[in-house]
Amino acid sequence: MTSITMDQPQQSRLFAAIHQGKIAVLRCWAYLGFIGGASALAMFGSNYSESGYIFQLLSMSGVVWGGAGMLVGIGVGAVLTRSDDTDSPNWQSKLVPWLDGVVVLLLLMGLWTLFEPAASQISYTDQSNLVSVRTIMAMKVLFLFSAACYIAQLFAPESFIGKVASWCAWGGVYAGGSSLLLRWYESYQFLGGEIGHAPVSNLYEVFILLCCVISIIYLSFERRYRTTGLGAFVMFLVAAAVLFIIWLGSYGEADIKPLVPALQSYWMKIHVPMNFVGYGSFAVACAAGMAWLVRARLERSGKNAKLLAIFPSLDQLDQLSYRAVSIGFPAFTLATILGAVWASQAWGGYWSWDPKETWALIVLLVYGAWLHVRVSHGWSGRVLAWWSVTAFVVTLFCFVGVNMYLSGLHSYGHLG
Amino acid sequence: MTQKNLPSLIKILLARLGTMPLAILLLIVLALASSIGTVLLQNQGQTDYLQQFGPLWYWVLRALGMFDMYHSWWFIALLGFLMASVGACLWRNVPRMLGEMRARKITLPDRIWKRMENQQQWEVKGTSVDQVVAQVRTLLPGWDWLQDERDGATWLRGDRGRYHKWGYILVHSAILVILIGGWLSVHYGFRGNMSVPEKGQEKEISFVQGSGVGHLTMPFSVRCNKFHIEFFPNGMPKEFRSNLTIIDHGKEVMTKDIIVNGPLYYKGVRIFQASFGDGGSDINLKLYHLDGSGTTSMAHTAVYDTWKDPTTGVSLEITDFKPYNVENMGDPGKAKKFQDLGPAVEFVLRGKGLKSVKIKSFMNPFVLGDDDRGSFMMVSLTGDAKDYQAVPLGLDFSNPKEWKLFNAFVGRLAQRTSKKSGESGREANINAFKQAVVDVFGDKRPANLPQMGTRVVQSVKTLMQMPWPFLPVLENYDQVYYTGLQLTQDPGINVVWVGSGLLVFGLCIMFYMSHRKIWLRVIKTGETGVNLHLAGRSNRNPLAFTEEFHQLFNKLQQGCGIDTKSTKESL
Ligand code: HEM
Repeated sequence: MTSITMDQPQQSRLFAAIHQGKIAVLRCWAYLGFIGGASALAMFGSNYSESGYIFQLLSMSGVVWGGAGMLVGIGVGAVLTRSDDTDSPNWQSKLVPWLDGVVVLLLLMGLWTLFEPAASQISYTDQSNLVSVRTIMAMKVLFLFSAACYIAQLFAPESFIGKVASWCAWGGVYAGGSSLLLRWYESYQFLGGEIGHAPVSNLYEVFILLCCVISIIYLSFERRYRTTGLGAFVMFLVAAAVLFIIWLGSYGEADIKPLVPALQSYWMKIHVPMNFVGYGSFAVACAAGMAWLVRARLERSGKNAKLLAIFPSLDQLDQLSYRAVSIGFPAFTLATILGAVWASQAWGGYWSWDPKETWALIVLLVYGAWLHVRVSHGWSGRVLAWWSVTAFVVTLFCFVGVNMYLSGLHSYGHLG
Repeated sequence: MTQKNLPSLIKILLARLGTMPLAILLLIVLALASSIGTVLLQNQGQTDYLQQFGPLWYWVLRALGMFDMYHSWWFIALLGFLMASVGACLWRNVPRMLGEMRARKITLPDRIWKRMENQQQWEVKGTSVDQVVAQVRTLLPGWDWLQDERDGATWLRGDRGRYHKWGYILVHSAILVILIGGWLSVHYGFRGNMSVPEKGQEKEISFVQGSGVGHLTMPFSVRCNKFHIEFFPNGMPKEFRSNLTIIDHGKEVMTKDIIVNGPLYYKGVRIFQASFGDGGSDINLKLYHLDGSGTTSMAHTAVYDTWKDPTTGVSLEITDFKPYNVENMGDPGKAKKFQDLGPAVEFVLRGKGLKSVKIKSFMNPFVLGDDDRGSFMMVSLTGDAKDYQAVPLGLDFSNPKEWKLFNAFVGRLAQRTSKKSGESGREANINAFKQAVVDVFGDKRPANLPQMGTRVVQSVKTLMQMPWPFLPVLENYDQVYYTGLQLTQDPGINVVWVGSGLLVFGLCIMFYMSHRKIWLRVIKTGETGVNLHLAGRSNRNPLAFTEEFHQLFNKLQQGCGIDTKSTKESL
């Protein structure tokens, strides 16, 4: 592996000002403190109940516990950063944009709830007037448009189209993320709040999550390394996922439905999103592999110098897919283990060789083999690129195919 | 293969066991092998397999253990092979890695300087070597420093993430730990099912063992006091709950509710809510005789029993009973309308000269809004629940008067047609019906007579065509559930969790911590100047390291000495 300097991205000065320096570090600690306080409220505050917690958090006790945590966090941050210079990048300045993003998502979600129809106009049997239906629609449009722009940019590499493309992708992430949060809230609006649950319970919901996760991972790459050409491939996959969401919606899969007893567990909220961090990063790795293959082909044909200029180099693409897998592999391993923990609670055994479990293992084995291929010498980038594309096909089968074609204990996400 | 080749093959295998190509091959083979069992359904009944594959393939597949392949000798051998390979590879690499972590070369030979991708050289005036070295050490506090004087220069070596190789060791040992844990679970644990009817008690579990069923007696018995299902308003189940009592040596030691995701723990055994079903409910069927006599009789039986009619020889084998049957009554594609159709019993009807059929008989009539459309049943001619077809019976059997009216009507109609009174069919019908109404109700006509009349007239066609001597309709029931429990004991589970923790921890070290090394050579130039030469590398993620290296350089360049004259090396 040779090292490559990627051009430093031209981060806007505003961005740097917000995410660096003392204020950013203290803000980061304030968030962490708040999270700590809110967790303490759940654990030690009186009578925690899953559906009532959010109201508890929004009430006086939330202000007390969260606020106290926040103050403690700021204090700790101030002490720890007293001597260090806080201007150069550190872990806090890397973490704080993510936490800021979460806050924006929550604010957006709060904003959407203001437009929610009156309780008397919400019905379980016809969910078409919910606001999330519209915000999800906005997400679909933004992602599709972003994909179109990224692809157009390959042929017209002016920076303007590229900017529009990334802004649309960011917009899609915020629209999608806030709609999921909103859907969570909306699920408590029907049937006396009995069926409320986190929006990760069926294929429709997790595909929205998937689109957002892929885009976030890609966009964070784009911000750190200038990878514009890769966007066309990543957003192409996202666009395909959006089309699948539309297709699912046309089958009436978009409705909020109650959870079967096996899924009524807090493990679902941890296990499923963790899985999707894995799936999302494997998708990015696959896109990098596709870009590698396309670039290699263009290079051989010797034409299209203009097109090549916008692609990252072969080595860069190779490293980007490695970066993506190094997010995905630990995340997916952890998700599989969390799944095993849950299974041991719900089914009485941590491993039952159920098709979904087995395919998760297969995915891990395939990417494990890929990682070993990389460290062993004498294999070319072409093999690795093909491998990341094929491995993603296996991944896709694990997460859609298994539900469609194989039967098993994972009742989650059956079609039809 | 000859005898002579064998030992050398083993030798080669042993030598190759810890090598990368073999590891890659093993991982792929394992992935392929695992996929087989997801396509070929595992642990089904042997007769199903025989039917599906025919005798030849059945025996071939069975000999290969394909019907329980995750426990077959060859799959276990593959896992054993993986363990051997990981073990061999740890054996080969760990000593080297530990050595590398300890040995840190302070100087860099020229040949390596040239190859370093990240390097910078600059000069500082008005300072001394010692001062610069001290400054560097305070400027970069997080680094682990070594210092030495060689060949007229002062060398500094800094390391970060020096223990990165522990990631490798942890990850690969974790694989071994997890597999050992799995082996403990399989060999010293058990996992089986028992069904306990309400008020009943059970001590034995059963489980699939190869192509048969194994049994195991627990050191205690389990009594189910009550099983309860709660439904969402759309008919989906919301909660399954069993109230269980553990009875150990005749003493009731514990009574507790369990739900899915909320098991019970007693004496190292976990008890899970796994399934439920009918535990032999009492069923009373009312038989409406279709021979024109208008009589009825009762059949008193229970789920899983077979009731036989002594006179006709017709038998009813009761297979299931459900107190709720929520169905979507909305038109396809339109908004859903959920409606509970009420209790229903399922049975198979057999008899001489009759095609045996599966019937689901509902207790209540089918009412849509205010419209009583009469009783109905589902009939499957194949005996498969997929082929159920709704058969409207016309009459509302929950109202005994209606059955009377029907029989009176049929009787009167027969009288009229035999008399050949010269009436048209329609007239005969109307007159027969009028007479029948007087027969049954006298002059106190019920308010819903028009609807009742429609149902009676309609049912003449359907009921007279029934091939059976009587129509069995669910009259009442006394329901009993059984709860399906899964009992497990797993001595390996904690080993697996420890292994899993090590695995994730190791992966985080492996992927997110990199071993970064920097070298700084400080040489005195002239009276008050020093020349600094900085180089660095990382064993992974070169993209990020290049960024980090630039930051390091900037920090040192700005922080060392006062008067700086940079002679940046162009890379
Ligand atoms: C299920 C089994 C295995 C898993 C999950 C696994 C996992 C991993 C992972 C995640 C890496 C890191 C790759 C990277 O740094 O990019 C790695 C590296 C490595 N693995 Fe494995 N491995 C397994 C089996 C084996 C076997 C059987 C061997 C024996 C030949 C082996 C030898 C190695 C070696 C030599 C490295 C490179 C370590 C280094 O220099 O950093 N692995 N393994």
